[in-house]
Amino acid sequence: MLMCRDLAEIASDYIDNELGTRQNLSVKMHLMMCKHCRSFIGNLRTSTELLKGYSSGRADDELMRRIDHNISEALAARKARDDEEK
Amino acid sequence: MKPEKLEGHEEALITGLQAGNEADFQQAVRFYTPGMLAVARFYLDHANAEEVVQDCWVSVIDAIRKFEGRSGLKTWLHRIVANRCKNKLRSNKKEVITDFSETLDPELADRFNASGRWAVPPKLQFHDSAEALLENGALSNCLDKHLSALPETQRSALMLYEVHQHKSADVCNILDVSASNLRVLLHRARQKIFLMVETFQETGEC
Repeated sequence: MLMCRDLAEIASDYIDNELGTRQNLSVKMHLMMCKHCRSFIGNLRTSTELLKGYSSGRADDELMRRIDHNISEALAARKARDDEEK
Repeated sequence: MKPEKLEGHEEALITGLQAGNEADFQQAVRFYTPGMLAVARFYLDHANAEEVVQDCWVSVIDAIRKFEGRSGLKTWLHRIVANRCKNKLRSNKKEVITDFSETLDPELADRFNASGRWAVPPKLQFHDSAEALLENGALSNCLDKHLSALPETQRSALMLYEVHQHKSADVCNILDVSASNLRVLLHRARQKIFLMVETFQETGEC
């Protein structure tokens, strides 16, 4: 029988529909009987959705400016090369 | 064009990059750099990761001319970053070690008794939707903090798969992990976020 701990181990696979039919069914059966695991799955699902809505990597302005500067120089070099080939 | 609107306008952007349009480069840098950094941080420390990403952008100036669009621009950029990181690691002869054997976060694993039942069950059902939770600035900051504290492997998997919504096959390819190991990384990272939100909702503290 599937125990709460077993369910916790495969909870992400359940949320992402990555389980086989048999395992999926035993999770569903367990969830019908166990309110703690229902809470757990519900909360893990919310946590996952939280990440989907999260806008990552607050742009580090200093890094962006350095990259802009490098690109600007490299583009100028590329243009000079292209002009020479013409 | 706002950075968040770039996706869907990829073809126009690629044409601009190929033509060497500086403004298009600036847009692309702002849109794609966070994801590229996430990839690089899987392999390298922060300073080296930044250096690799900077070098990549310069190499893109020439490489983009040969870009044929067989993959999306984002995937293509991430692959360049991953390859450069691997080369750098090879030259530094450092190894990336990750333990994939434990599926449960130790803190969560401790909450089950010997018979596999909950000893310390989830405190409560989160009462807000993800959307409502994100509107809470304090929680959002807390999420930032916890994400940056995650082991690098977990964070990169999470960023690429959930936040940047790459397909799992692409994430495996970029990070050079098997499909089953990616599942472990994702699950471990999600548990951390679960534990964080639980504490935050219960105590209001990060």
